[in-house]
Amino acid sequence: MSYYVYVFIAGIAGSFHCIGMCSGFACALGADRSGKRLPSILRHLLFNTGRLTVYAFLGGVAGSLSAALAMSSTAAVVTTAQQALTVLAGSLMVLMALQLFGLLVLRPVPGFGGRALAHAIGTLAAAQSRAAPVALGVFNGFLPCPLVYAFLAQAAASGNAGSGALTMTALGLGTFPAMLAMGWMGVRMRPTWRQTGVRLAGTIVLAFGVLTIARAFVPLDGLAPSL
Amino acid sequence: MTAATQSLCSHCHLPVSIGGVERQLTGNRHRFCCYGCCLAYQVGQGNTEESTATWLLIRLGIGAFLAMNIMLFSILLYSGTLTDADEPVRRGIHLLLWALATPVVVILGGPFMSDAWRAAGRGRITADALISIAALAAYVYSALAAYRGGGDVYFDTATMLLVLFTLGRYLEATGRAQAVRNLEPLFQAENGWAHVIADGGDERLRIRDLAPGMRIRLRPGERAPVDGTVCDGRSEMDEAVITGESRPVAKQPGSMVRAGSVNLLGQLIVECTAPAAESTWAAISRLVRDALKRETPIQRLTDRWAAFFVPGVIVLAGLTVLFWSRDLPFDQSLLAGLAVLVVACPCALGLAAPMATTMGIGLLGQRGCLVRDGAVLETLAQIKGVAFDKTGTLTMGKPRLVGIEADDTPADEVLRVAASLERGSEHPIAESVVSAAEEKNLSLIDVFEPRAVPGLGIIGEMAGNPAAAGTAALMEERGWKVPSHLLSRAESLETEHYSLVWVGWAGRVRGLLWLDDRLRDQARETVQGLRRQGLFTALLTGDRRSVAARVFDAVGADAVEAVLLPQGKVEALADLSRRHGPMAMVGDGINDGPVLAAAAVGVAVGGATDLTRETADVVLPEDGLHLMPWVIDVAVRVRRTILINLAGAFGYNAIALTLAVIGWLQPVAAALLMVGSSLAVVVNSLRLSKHCAGQMADQT
Repeated sequence: MSYYVYVFIAGIAGSFHCIGMCSGFACALGADRSGKRLPSILRHLLFNTGRLTVYAFLGGVAGSLSAALAMSSTAAVVTTAQQALTVLAGSLMVLMALQLFGLLVLRPVPGFGGRALAHAIGTLAAAQSRAAPVALGVFNGFLPCPLVYAFLAQAAASGNAGSGALTMTALGLGTFPAMLAMGWMGVRMRPTWRQTGVRLAGTIVLAFGVLTIARAFVPLDGLAPSL
Repeated sequence: MTAATQSLCSHCHLPVSIGGVERQLTGNRHRFCCYGCCLAYQVGQGNTEESTATWLLIRLGIGAFLAMNIMLFSILLYSGTLTDADEPVRRGIHLLLWALATPVVVILGGPFMSDAWRAAGRGRITADALISIAALAAYVYSALAAYRGGGDVYFDTATMLLVLFTLGRYLEATGRAQAVRNLEPLFQAENGWAHVIADGGDERLRIRDLAPGMRIRLRPGERAPVDGTVCDGRSEMDEAVITGESRPVAKQPGSMVRAGSVNLLGQLIVECTAPAAESTWAAISRLVRDALKRETPIQRLTDRWAAFFVPGVIVLAGLTVLFWSRDLPFDQSLLAGLAVLVVACPCALGLAAPMATTMGIGLLGQRGCLVRDGAVLETLAQIKGVAFDKTGTLTMGKPRLVGIEADDTPADEVLRVAASLERGSEHPIAESVVSAAEEKNLSLIDVFEPRAVPGLGIIGEMAGNPAAAGTAALMEERGWKVPSHLLSRAESLETEHYSLVWVGWAGRVRGLLWLDDRLRDQARETVQGLRRQGLFTALLTGDRRSVAARVFDAVGADAVEAVLLPQGKVEALADLSRRHGPMAMVGDGINDGPVLAAAAVGVAVGGATDLTRETADVVLPEDGLHLMPWVIDVAVRVRRTILINLAGAFGYNAIALTLAVIGWLQPVAAALLMVGSSLAVVVNSLRLSKHCAGQMADQT
């Protein structure tokens, strides 16, 4: 259980990254056309549920893929693969921390169908339909994101579909508060606060990254919660 | 040789065959080759067709959302966390999955089912039918199991199949449209827009509504919508679509602008001189569209094969279920059957030929090279040799003044008199004499009563003296004396087969002009390029042997045949084909009609109308002779791409089908494989564009 708490905290810290990347969509989603408070909250909950579902789904897929691999290979191979995935996850977190500190600029790679995805998101964000936020959340969830990739690697290392899905759910839930706040309340932090927040988050993410990499090689049961 | 299919897909411009989808979108009737293109087109048109595109995306998003939730709950079922004591929970989850899966089958499965149904109405069982049957079978089986409260449910399989195939179709269509974007500049001629300068500011008009006299603003980067003249501004233009020449051409006030060329530097104001529909660009556009609509033999073969293949797969799937159900529980054998259905979907096979052919036609069209249809590309890829006509093909087809010999008179005076006499004549020799005088800025003299003597030349009176230009016989008829040194010069020139023009006035012959037909700049380069490609090259001409020999030496071809009548050319070509294999013939469509028609591939230089008159199969732009090796190279690569696509898709199908029949493949994995194979065809065909474009850039 404590492992998922750790992922949840990483999600909260990582959501400072989300604010930079994805809050635009949440803001664009805006309030319900009726202007009432409850439907507006619902709108953003639906958006985030769509996103969460994608994360959980991807986690499940990553977990079941690695489970399938594990069934067809030896224990040594499985251990090596898990180590590699854990290192990958940690490295992605370190990269993201560097990005939060402003030391690194990551450009999204325009891939096959990437433009179509961006186009779809643009269209959906502007749509007034009550069902649109779910769809927007789904498409948003598939956007390339180092935070998601990092924990997908973790989910794969977890070795089964269920824990993979749970890992990603914990991460998604961690990003809920920030995304909800940004989107629904339209809260804007004061620049100085934001600066501090981003630095703090960067430090936490960096620490998680380093811990994760370390965990691949050294049993650190006392330091980082294991599965 | 070819049959025209009805229309082209609104999204990817591939031909729409029987499996096509029709939709009424914002008042216009659109036809799509597949559901994927229908999806991608509507999403892509998001800005103009807001409601349709948004609704479609919402459906996709909700469908995916539900399908993913189904997957997550299924993970819970598969994980083995639930024990026998949790039976009520399990039953609850089954019912929940049922409730979630039903809208997915309607939302995502609906389009596949209705398309399959429509095709079935026309007597065809398509790939859509396979997908529909697979998804419905999994859904119905699971619904029965959930209702009875016993056994496993496979709602996740049913919904994931639909999500994967919808996504696959969409990605495939996006990739395809990207692949044929070469065609966009050609289609703009029919449905693009132009900025017309009006009294109250600029006005946006459809290109087809432009009329002569209108003034058009042409910004840098824009294509000239019509033929016209520059009124204002200076710039350079890329006329590759029309001339095949990618070097920029300078434009200033008074310059002609050709429709389809791209303005590169500054803004131009162009006055339209002819209706849009009459431009070469519009003609090219129509021809390319026609070419794309025709089915190629390979395509017809694969389509016919698919028509038997799909029902065969359904039978095979049924047999698989029957076979396995003897040893395994029914649901296990059903899954094996579903995997067979899904993995055998012949999407990639159907895509293999048309995609590469369309890309080839688009690539060639970008350089103003037109082909009648995809079948021509297939034949062109297999030719073993190329025969050329001489006059007008390897040579300019127009005599050029080579030299002047005068007697006691300045050479320019001889030329001036000859040009003055021949000014009114339309004979090619007369025209080149006049243009030679114009190049030297000679002022012509007024001729009193000029008169043509048929077969001999022209006589008239100049400043009170009789004057004549023409053959030696004309001079003799006048009784004019020929200086001896001119006579001996004429004899040696005649053995070299130059055309001679004698000029005389006031009682004696004053000079001699000689002309020849100039070789095109790139004639040698073209012939040598073809030889490097391993092709046999020949020269077939009706001209005299010595003239033919001179051109033959100049271009360095492998064989030459001279003094051929049109029918003789046909026989000579047939003889070459017997010895070397199928030959292409390059000529002009007017004089060489019979031999172009008789060749495996007839190539005309500079006459798009020949394509419509069916005398030629391929048309190169004026001055586009040098593109011939590239055209053949594109054809070869298109054919190779088709064969790789077919072999890949076929091999993939065979292996995957075997795995599915022996029960080694889960339906969802099978769907992933299938989507992957279609994307592989798209990606492999995309390589064609990159390679050919790169090679063209090297050449110019």
